[in-house]
Parts: sequence; structure tokens; C-alpha cells
Amino acid sequence: MQSIESKILYNDMLAEGYFRLGLEWKTPRVKAGHFVMLRVSDGMDPLLRRPFGVYKVIGAKGSASKGTGIELLYRVVGRGTSILSAKRPGEVLGILGPLGNGFPSPRKGLKVVMVTGGMGIVPLYMLASQTGGILLFGARTKKERFLLDGFKGPGLKVKTATEDGSMGTKGLVTALLEKELAAGVVVYACGPLGMLKAVSRMCSDAGVRCFVSLERSMACGIGVCLGCAVRSVNHDGKENRNYKMVCSDGPVFDGEDIDWELL
Amino acid sequence: MGTPLKKKLPKKPLEVTIAGIKFRNPVMTASGTFGYGAEFAPFTDIEKLGAIVVKGLSLYPRQGNPGPRIVETPCGMLNAIGLQNVGVDDFIEKKLPLLKGVRTHVIANIFGETIEDYMEVARKLDGVKGVSALEINISCPNVKKGGIVFGTDPQEAFRVVSAIRKSTSMPLITKLSPNVADIRVMVKAAEDAGTDAISLINTLTGMVIDVEKRRPVLATATGGLSGPAIRPVAVRMVWQAAQVAKVPIIGMGGIMNANDALEFLIAGASAVQVGTASFIDPDAAVKVAVGLEEYSKKHSVSMKDLTGSLKLA
Repeated sequence: MQSIESKILYNDMLAEGYFRLGLEWKTPRVKAGHFVMLRVSDGMDPLLRRPFGVYKVIGAKGSASKGTGIELLYRVVGRGTSILSAKRPGEVLGILGPLGNGFPSPRKGLKVVMVTGGMGIVPLYMLASQTGGILLFGARTKKERFLLDGFKGPGLKVKTATEDGSMGTKGLVTALLEKELAAGVVVYACGPLGMLKAVSRMCSDAGVRCFVSLERSMACGIGVCLGCAVRSVNHDGKENRNYKMVCSDGPVFDGEDIDWELL
Repeated sequence: MGTPLKKKLPKKPLEVTIAGIKFRNPVMTASGTFGYGAEFAPFTDIEKLGAIVVKGLSLYPRQGNPGPRIVETPCGMLNAIGLQNVGVDDFIEKKLPLLKGVRTHVIANIFGETIEDYMEVARKLDGVKGVSALEINISCPNVKKGGIVFGTDPQEAFRVVSAIRKSTSMPLITKLSPNVADIRVMVKAAEDAGTDAISLINTLTGMVIDVEKRRPVLATATGGLSGPAIRPVAVRMVWQAAQVAKVPIIGMGGIMNANDALEFLIAGASAVQVGTASFIDPDAAVKVAVGLEEYSKKHSVSMKDLTGSLKLA
């Protein structure tokens, strides 16, 4: 973990409201599923850093996790990302990271199925490039297709579902998952809470191991503010109220460990 | 008249003494913003701080409140963590040893739901090696029982601090709530009960509403406001407290840099605590200490002489 001032290498618009941010960072030991906390403004408002999943390491050879910087993909959703979108190459941003546990590597012999919804695809880029497998891409319309650009991995197969049917299957990405659930599969998912809840339940019913990457408001990113608590299930049944921190215990959790009803 | 003679600086101009304890500088971390201390070791040199004040400790572990627990506000944040902590026993057994050999003071922040709880926690920490003082939290707005009751009623504050005073020989700092009409009454109550110092302010009670859902953003509806948004209120309350206090004051509330800390010292604080700023920059408290040293050199003034040096027309 490091707290550094990083130079912006690029901050390009990919599509209306979507940006690709390159940050210089000499030795990021980043693992698939890690995130960083970015300080988008030196002022007092907005005050807090914002969490961003790492898209990829730049300047790395092959699938190595060491390079010369990191790339983030973000969508402008509020004030913080709006300020960020106006930043220019050469400007400097505070980065804290890499943070979180990241995705656990799939056990040998398991078939990897990745399920994403919208920007939930971001933290899966590195995983896909390492493991390959099947990527189930959920989007609202085909306008989000660019999010798939550059996705590659050993034998990676992509299947798409859009809510308006403008690309791939019409409907939710969970309908695609239904057909993939079988023995010998491990699922990795990131996306909206409703999607993750459904994915987790489907996997649980099918007896398939499922790892989800969660997002929550957080102030520190290092497990001290205790703001990003999610309720978890204690499998020994002793304590029904138990919290885990998305930043330091996660952001990746076994779907079985999350109390989805009381999240 | 000419230029006034510069007073000769003492050898250690940053050193302050509070409750009989010598601190290398007047900068501490605020409880609840620095974990149990060791979490910050990768990012900052905690030996450059006057003291670390750890997350509030209760007799038994506490799970805290459901989420959402935090929300950003203009120049600040609202939190309703609900005093989640590992409990005093686990702190002594598992967390404190991580700070072994670290040359800075550790102050244990304690709280309870009843006076007996407070006393028991204080007894367990009495004489524990590596703990220099206790900070009594009588001011958390985020728990239903205890806490704030003791922090807003001077008679209750007197009762709880007196009881803890009898339970431990350790130096006591009483942390006051700003959610009162007259802070001076609370200062006197804590002093009469035998506190060695007071610290203020804890967070101000606040609320944010999601207008689309017509629901409070925080699961507990209200929470504690911190960050630079509250600083002028905090400076005012420290200044008021300093007018009546006989014991030293530790000031806090939205300190982001040395300049902010200086306001508190000049208003009457002998030391300061840095809180929310550590979430944004884990090195913030150390940077405050560095800035105070620069100010001390530039103006040839010790921290001790700075305390309460406010000039009023």
C-alpha cells in the first residue's frame, strides 16, 4: 500500500460520460479486483477520496501485475467524477492503494464464468486476461459495447445481454448465467446490487462457488473509519449480526458470506 | 518602543505537558479516525505524533450500526458507526502489542452504556503498560443508551467521571459533546469530578435526507458531523471552555492543517487532535506537527506560550 501523488498520463472520453484515466505509478503491485482511493480535489469540497476499481496495469509485460502505471475506467455519476473528468494530462492526483483483497485465483480445473453489469465490468478486465473463461456482459443498450473493447484472455468467450435487446440476448444478464451454472464452474461477479444478489442466490441454489465484488460509500479505504460495513452471515449460527468492511475485508466476498436480505 | 525582544525559545518548543504527561508535540489523532494505530504504520511515521488516541473501547465487543453508516456533506461527513470496536480485552491482548516499541503515547478512549461499564473498562486498563491515559467518551451521538446522556447533563457527567476517577490511577481526559447549550457548565462538571484534562469537540448531530426516496441517507437517520465544516464551531467552543477551565484543553474539530491547529491553540487549547483529515490523507496529523514546528521557528514561540494567546481588542 502506498499514498502517492500521481501524474495523469491521459484522461480520455470513451463515450458520452465515460472516461479512461491513466495514472503514472512506478510500482503498482496490483492484483485483479484491487481498488484505489483517489483524491479528485485538493479543496475541502468534495472532501473525501473516492474508490475506483483498477481496470488494468499499464506498461506491464504480458499479464504481469507490475508496470509503470494504472488505468481506471469511470462514468460521470456525481460531483467527484465530474471534477475528475475535467482533469488534464500532467495534473497530479493523490492515490492511495492498491487496496482490498482482490479476486481469489480460481482453483485449477474450474471453469471461470464472469458476470458483469454496466461499469461492474471494470475490475474483471485483469481477471479475464489471466484466467480466460466465459464473460457474461450485461448492459442497458449496445451503446455500452465499447466497455468490451480490448477484453482478452486465454480462450475468452463473451456473451451479451442488453435490457433493450439492441445487442445480444434481450433481458438481464442473469438469464445468460442460468445456462452456465453446472458442476466445475466458479463465478465472479461485479455490478449493481440487485444483480449481485440474484447471481449469488442462483449460484447458491446450484451449489456453485461465487465471488462478488461490492461497492459501498467509504471514507478511508483502509479499514479504520468503519463506514463501509456490510452485514455478513456467520456460518456457525452463533451471531446473526456481524459486519465486514468492504474496503479491508473485501471488496470481494464469497456470496454465501453476505447477508443479502439485510445488506 | 522599537521591535519587541524575541523571547528565547526553550530547547523543545513543541513539547507540551498535559495531565503530568510530556508529549513531544501537541498533535494527537482523534479517536475513531486512526483505528488502533498500527493500521497507519504503512503511510505515516506515528512516532512523530504527540499521541495516538485509539478507537473507543467498550467492556464487550460491539458490532456497530447497520449501513449506510457514512455520507459526505459539504466540507465534511456524517457518520453513524455506532462505536463498533473489539472490546477492551481484545484491545489489550491483540491490538496494543502491535504498538509495542512505538515511541509515542497511546491514549485509550473508553465508553459504556452504564456507569458500571465505564468503571469496569477503566479498571481493566488501569496500569496497563503502553497506555498513558484514558479519554472518557461521554459524547457519542450514535448510540441509543449511555454516551450522549452523560455528555449533555452536567450531573450525569459529574457522576460518571467521578466514578471513573475512583476506578483508576491513570490520567483522565474527558471528551465533551458540542450538542449542549453552554459548554462551560460541562467543563466545570468534568473538572469538579476530577478530570485531568478535557477534549472537545466531538461530532455535531446532523442529518441528510434523500429527497427521491424521502428517507434519511444514514440507516440510523442521524449521525455525527465532522470535518472542516464544523471547525468554526469547535474553535468557538474551545475558546469558551478556555475561559473557565483550570485543566488543560485538547481542541479538535475539522483540523486539516497546521493553520487550523494554530487557531485552536491560540483560542486556548494546549494540544489538538486531528480526525477526519486522516481519512483523506493518512499522513495529515504528522503534517500538522511539521507545520507547527515551522510556525514555532518563524515566530519564535513555543506551543506553551501560544496556548490562549488570543488578542482581543
